[in-house]
Amino acid sequence: MKKLALLLLLIAFSVALIAETVTLEYWMWDPSIKDKVEKAIAKFEETHPNIKVNLTVMEPKNYWPKMRTLAFTKKLPDVFNMSSGYLEEWAKNKFLLDLTNYVENDLDKDKFFFNLFEAGKRISGTDRYYAIPFALVVTVLYYNKDAFDEAGIPYPDENWTWDDFLDAAKRLTKDKDGDGEIDQWGFWFYGRYAHVESWIYANGGRLINRETMRFEPDENALEALKFLVSLVKEHKVAPMPKEMKGIRQQDVFPRGLAAMWVDGSWNIENNRKIIGDKFRWGIAPVPVGPHGSKDVAYGWPDFVAISATTKHPKEAWEFAKFIAGEGLTLDMYMAGKIPSYKALTMSEEFDEVGKQPVEKGKVLRELASRKLLNSFTMGWSEWRGYGAAESMGLNGLIDAVLNGEMAFDEMLDQAYKNVNRVLKRYYK
Amino acid sequence: MKKGFSWYKPWHGWIFLIPTLIGLFVFRIGPIIFAFFMSFTDWNIMLQPTWIGLDNYKELFTDPNFYQILLNTFEFSLIYVTGTMVFGLLLAVLVNSKIKGIKFFRTAYFTPVVTSAVAVGIIWSWILSPKYGLLNVILEKWFGVTPPSWLGDAKWALPTVAFVQTWKMMGYYMIIYLAGLQNIPSHLYEAARIDGASKFQSFWRITLPLLSPTTFFAFTIAIIDSFRNFEIIYTMTQGGPQYASTTLVYSVYVNAFVFYRMGYASAVAYVLLGVVGLITWINFLLKKYWVQRIY
Repeated sequence: MKKLALLLLLIAFSVALIAETVTLEYWMWDPSIKDKVEKAIAKFEETHPNIKVNLTVMEPKNYWPKMRTLAFTKKLPDVFNMSSGYLEEWAKNKFLLDLTNYVENDLDKDKFFFNLFEAGKRISGTDRYYAIPFALVVTVLYYNKDAFDEAGIPYPDENWTWDDFLDAAKRLTKDKDGDGEIDQWGFWFYGRYAHVESWIYANGGRLINRETMRFEPDENALEALKFLVSLVKEHKVAPMPKEMKGIRQQDVFPRGLAAMWVDGSWNIENNRKIIGDKFRWGIAPVPVGPHGSKDVAYGWPDFVAISATTKHPKEAWEFAKFIAGEGLTLDMYMAGKIPSYKALTMSEEFDEVGKQPVEKGKVLRELASRKLLNSFTMGWSEWRGYGAAESMGLNGLIDAVLNGEMAFDEMLDQAYKNVNRVLKRYYK
Repeated sequence: MKKGFSWYKPWHGWIFLIPTLIGLFVFRIGPIIFAFFMSFTDWNIMLQPTWIGLDNYKELFTDPNFYQILLNTFEFSLIYVTGTMVFGLLLAVLVNSKIKGIKFFRTAYFTPVVTSAVAVGIIWSWILSPKYGLLNVILEKWFGVTPPSWLGDAKWALPTVAFVQTWKMMGYYMIIYLAGLQNIPSHLYEAARIDGASKFQSFWRITLPLLSPTTFFAFTIAIIDSFRNFEIIYTMTQGGPQYASTTLVYSVYVNAFVFYRMGYASAVAYVLLGVVGLITWINFLLKKYWVQRIY
């Protein structure tokens, strides 16, 4: 009897071992694709019968406060979305699992745009991989093809210089109904990060000295800033930001108020919605500055990360790899977001033939393979002036110059003081 | 009748208050106390808070922008309190009549009060927009005046936002004053008319003095209310341009939920509490000098 009992126990134990399912918690920030993600999860569970994934979706504005609370109470989900803006803070505070071993030994690097992994390493401020990129956004030059045709100017391409740009902007700034007020501006911008940094990087410049982690714009960056300011003050091809108050900044170009605009590629969706068939428009890389080169781009990835305290690192890695790459389909990406999984970006579907902008596939693929630069640091929202704090920080200072309320040198003076005051708090 | 309620002791009343007291403590008093202690820490939500004593307050008082924010807060309150009380009274006098259909106007003036601040902010942002905004189109086409960018100009941003908030809330003070007006016995007006008083004299000598308790109430509420301006600023100017329309409340939000500096934000919130508390206390102290009672 004793032997039988022992045998039964052994069988039960091994059955339990084999049948042991691991449950993973996955949190993401895009409610609009919830169904599609659930389908992807079902597909994953089919090929990984011992792993079950529970999905939680949050609205973007609720996501971060909730995530931070979970980090504090040590109840982070196993796998979750991570943004470039916070990667450094989370990695350095040891909330993310170090994925370097997995990336180097268990990842088919050719299947991804590997430069995005490198960008992630740079952003984290460490020499380890802490997150898997699943999407990329870059900034592009949007231009109104009909306005270009009307003015007889050839369309921009990747070889456009700042002189080409300025020349076009001058010819595109028009007072169409003769009432003394400009109806179509050549260009539209303000102190926003996506508007300004694009030009700084296109000129080979930088805002932050990564060795000292202090605000130290170099010659090229200052040249870019001065160039932008001259567009409003000297050449008058762009309006003062305060003139466009009351209109959402992303609506200025699609409403035909400006013939050119530089901002993130994710605006393609809003452009399509507002422009419809009213005019033809296209995208091109940001014009190259006198000291810039064509092998860098201003962009940043969105990531999938794994909690450092997960109880199932191996299973979490399997799932994270899947949900950042092969598990995704193009319809999960907002127009203008670029998948990091090459199969998706290189597919014909990515070109979205029949929709504007017609050069979407070509331009975005080319930009996705460039070296990605950005100026994210800890405390970035505060010193740069982002979101609800847009009027503050560097954003507010640049706007003050553009609106004629502050001189350029005074702005720079204050910027040194204010930005470094914030940076000192995070980087001693 | 002895059996009635005689077995109730006085302290039994407290038992019935327990649900309310719990709610009051958990949702109001508890967070207020918690925020007090938080203001002496450095806490970014993710990590454990670290005690830093008065450092947050020191940083606050040496921040060059803080004084502008404080000034903005007072300026906003000044415009708001004056505006709502003057226009609230004006509207109340206007709707305090028995004309047919006057109820429609009472409702109409009150509607902005119950409309979402975000909706109000969006519509007014459009009206005040330099391009295509209704106001600027009228000013330019009919009056030939070139108006400033109401929300984009550093000089105008704060008064404009204060104006919109005043417009939104004046209906509330209208209701308060309306109640006060209707409590004034009409025989006083009749007696005044018989004695040959003009409308203006009636208003100045009868209405206003007898309204003083109402005015005191409205004044107290308006002061406290004037500091609650987050939504309108968030929707219209985001505190800009460059702190020109940032008030203490907006600063609390930005520091807590954009910069994740909970400790610092709590310190700002406590400064706000101190300011409101001080003004309200002064208000109550001065009450006996100008508030009259109706007997």
